[in-house]
Amino acid sequence: MTTLVDVQDIEKNFPLTGGGNYLALKGIDLQIRKGEFISLIGHSGCGKSTLLNMIAGLDLPTGGTVLIDGEQVRRPGPDKMVVFQNYSLLPWLTVEENIALAIDEVMPGLAAEERKAVIKEHIEMVGLGHAGHKLPRELSGGMRQRVAIARALAIRPKLLLLDEPFGALDALTRGNLQEKLMQICNEHQLTAVMVTHDVDEAVLLSDRIVMLTNGPGSRIGGILEVDIPRPRQRMSVVHHPSYYSLRSEIIYFLNRQKRVKQWQAKPHKVLSRHGLEKVNLDLGFVPLAACAPLAVAEAKGLFAKHGLDEVQLVRETSWRGVTDGLVDGTLDAAQMPSGMPAWMTAGGHGGAPLPVVSSLTLSRNGNGITLAKRLADAGVHSVDDYRRWLQSHNREPHTLGIVHPASMHNLLLRYWLAASAIDPDRDVHLQTLPPAQMLADLKDGSIDGFCIGAPWLDRAMAEGHGFTVAGDLAIWPGHPGKVLGVREDWALAYPNTHIALTKALLEACRYCAEPSHWPELSELLSERRYLGMKKEVIWFSESSADGNASVPHHLFFGPGVNRPSRSEHLWILTQLARWAEIPFPRNYVEILERICSVGVYSTAARELGLEDVTYQRAAIELFDGRPFNTEDPISYLNAVSVHRDFSVAEIPIGAPRALAS
Amino acid sequence: MSFIPTLSPPDSTAPGSRPPLLRFTELGKVYPTPRGPYPVLENVNLEVQQGEFVCVIGHSGCGKSTLLNMVSGFATPTSGQVLLNGQPILKPGPDRMVVFQGYALLPWLTAYENVHLAIDSVKPTLPEREKREIALEHLAMVGLTAAADKKITQISGGMKQRVAIARALAIRPEVLILDEPFGALDAITKEELQEELLGIWNTQKCTVLMITHDIDEALFLADRLVMMTNGPAAGIGEVLCIDFPRPRSREDIMEDPRYYELRNQALDFLYHRFAHDEDEA
Repeated sequence: MTTLVDVQDIEKNFPLTGGGNYLALKGIDLQIRKGEFISLIGHSGCGKSTLLNMIAGLDLPTGGTVLIDGEQVRRPGPDKMVVFQNYSLLPWLTVEENIALAIDEVMPGLAAEERKAVIKEHIEMVGLGHAGHKLPRELSGGMRQRVAIARALAIRPKLLLLDEPFGALDALTRGNLQEKLMQICNEHQLTAVMVTHDVDEAVLLSDRIVMLTNGPGSRIGGILEVDIPRPRQRMSVVHHPSYYSLRSEIIYFLNRQKRVKQWQAKPHKVLSRHGLEKVNLDLGFVPLAACAPLAVAEAKGLFAKHGLDEVQLVRETSWRGVTDGLVDGTLDAAQMPSGMPAWMTAGGHGGAPLPVVSSLTLSRNGNGITLAKRLADAGVHSVDDYRRWLQSHNREPHTLGIVHPASMHNLLLRYWLAASAIDPDRDVHLQTLPPAQMLADLKDGSIDGFCIGAPWLDRAMAEGHGFTVAGDLAIWPGHPGKVLGVREDWALAYPNTHIALTKALLEACRYCAEPSHWPELSELLSERRYLGMKKEVIWFSESSADGNASVPHHLFFGPGVNRPSRSEHLWILTQLARWAEIPFPRNYVEILERICSVGVYSTAARELGLEDVTYQRAAIELFDGRPFNTEDPISYLNAVSVHRDFSVAEIPIGAPRALAS
Repeated sequence: MSFIPTLSPPDSTAPGSRPPLLRFTELGKVYPTPRGPYPVLENVNLEVQQGEFVCVIGHSGCGKSTLLNMVSGFATPTSGQVLLNGQPILKPGPDRMVVFQGYALLPWLTAYENVHLAIDSVKPTLPEREKREIALEHLAMVGLTAAADKKITQISGGMKQRVAIARALAIRPEVLILDEPFGALDAITKEELQEELLGIWNTQKCTVLMITHDIDEALFLADRLVMMTNGPAAGIGEVLCIDFPRPRSREDIMEDPRYYELRNQALDFLYHRFAHDEDEA
């Protein structure tokens, strides 16, 4: 694949009128291949137009370079044409004359015959064959923008640059032009870069979407690959599982940028009181039945009871939000999937390894694997049926939904598939999707199933679109679900706060485990600040789909339930390495020691008078009966039949260090 | 429990047994043109309850502005009628206020003077002190207390639209008519204004009719979304009931599987079943 545009370490400083500089962009690296369609998206003022202008040569960077076909961009030219939002047509010239003017400028030697042909071809390309003799003012906004596009393309640029080309058009007219542009780009193998703030437009048109963070010093916050096959049609793309997942990814990114800005605008003081280093905490959670201990601790005043009198629960819509909140420090602590401490400590989130510790397992069980009702109708009732189904329907994309790579849902689903000779990456496609979308996708048939927590799995069944093919008890009874996680540097800076928080939540866990409290929990969680769902779908029952009624669905408290377990975190590390989410850490003993704050847990339990719950759990064994040898995880990894090419590496996590105040 | 979007037939009545605040019956509008009469709207039937938030969506030229103009009284029906509290609407009046995309403010006056002028012309006998109070109260409602004495030319587009909304509400209309009020604003300002509008609608309990081109805006704001077919002789194609609980937040709505169904249904209506070729426009 040849690189057409190479943006290397661009920086842009604008001098301010009152002296000083405004740093708009910093450290931008971007390679654009020939034939690619790239969108730049971000909030107003994030420098996306500035970046486009530097590619166009309309502005020069104060640091770094832009190369097109290996040549440095120093000025604008006909090889890179820009289409602006306001059309920029000459109002006294007709459509044909506007285009002719551009051709005459760039290709003055063109024979009259050929010149005419080029004009005609491009007017027809944008579907304006009937309007060649009209003046711009006789055309609608959408038609004027078509003329601007035809004019840009008539001089055959290497690169088409579009600065919010449809921003001035109403949302419905936009749709037609987007399809036209997409069609032209496909037919002519154009390379294009478009600035937009329209999320749907970006997903529909792009091969890759570049998301820019807020200024000053904007940088690339993430690049999304749009894996929706071409040719794309506006109406069919919305049924592709990636569509809404990409869309929510971008919306999440933009909201996150907004939130961080608002957070930074407020003063953040550490309040110490009652012998605790910090009593004002922002505690993240995701609305699931498993967040019950956090809701109870808040509703029953347990945080305040243990001296934490300014705890705010922050409702995140995805686990992504929890990861980002810990990374940028907007969250003090969070409920998180049990795989997340190991995953972040090993750098699985894509940044530098960030040691995250857990002093408490908040819940166990409560997850299950759901397959679409249409599969049951076709005779699929077990994992073996599903394997046969995959073999006989191997041409469809078989997508299964997960909520996060570090969640037990992902690890259990992969384990369950692999143990039944279904490769979770080759035979099916696992996709991270928001829960609400999974339900909609299961219903409209674009996914085969998902592994998800309560109450979403109950909802799929209640609504009749799916059935539980394997409940939590059928895969690994008592598997860890959600844990309390904080950054290690936070835990070291606020040790007494950490103990108080663990105590408040452990007490809440005990409350949640009592069956007579379950109706109250359903009622409490149905509130908008928690789940915001009807209480009838939030169940805490002892019954389960496979008829195994002896173990409760959710385990919140009891012998061996809450104490952080090194062997479980080791199992998680091996599974994350098995699927190449992280390398297997050579220094895993040290990592496990650091992840599991057993000391904090023991202190909290002792101070609550709960010493009996420190009981050790039995060995880890899942439904397939393969024992997990905690003494030799690498041999275990080599022995499992289905795995990716994993690596073993030292994870550099440095010496433990407290957060600087 | 069912998550199937509720579809009402085009002539549906809103839930509740109260007489409707607004009733459109067999409404039609024909414009004379040099090439003969041009029917814009035909056979429009709709009932709107007091306090409802109704959005109207459709392609350019579907007659949605014409429809709302017959509520504001700027246009009169060629056939059928629009009843407000049982009385046919014949002319504009202060019980129905309109907010336009282009703001329609007097640029040489301040924000305060624009609002004050409207109060003055509707309730000329009110004591000056009360006029001032009402004007300031409504400017505060849209967060413009600090900018009250700024000239219209000195404020941003978002602030201008806030003045226009404050002016419309200061008259205490029964029906607030919004003709694509946020179409010209950037995405962030637009979201802020949508949230403010919902807040005000919640406290004032007025009835809102709003034209939009933006499906997400309608899903966030409205109780019902009226989807228009294409002209000529456009009518109501479908009415989508949007029963997300209130007060709403964008995050909550996106966590609801119905959001994806309603959105896809509206997309299907507008881009598939009633797709529009703008070249004809």
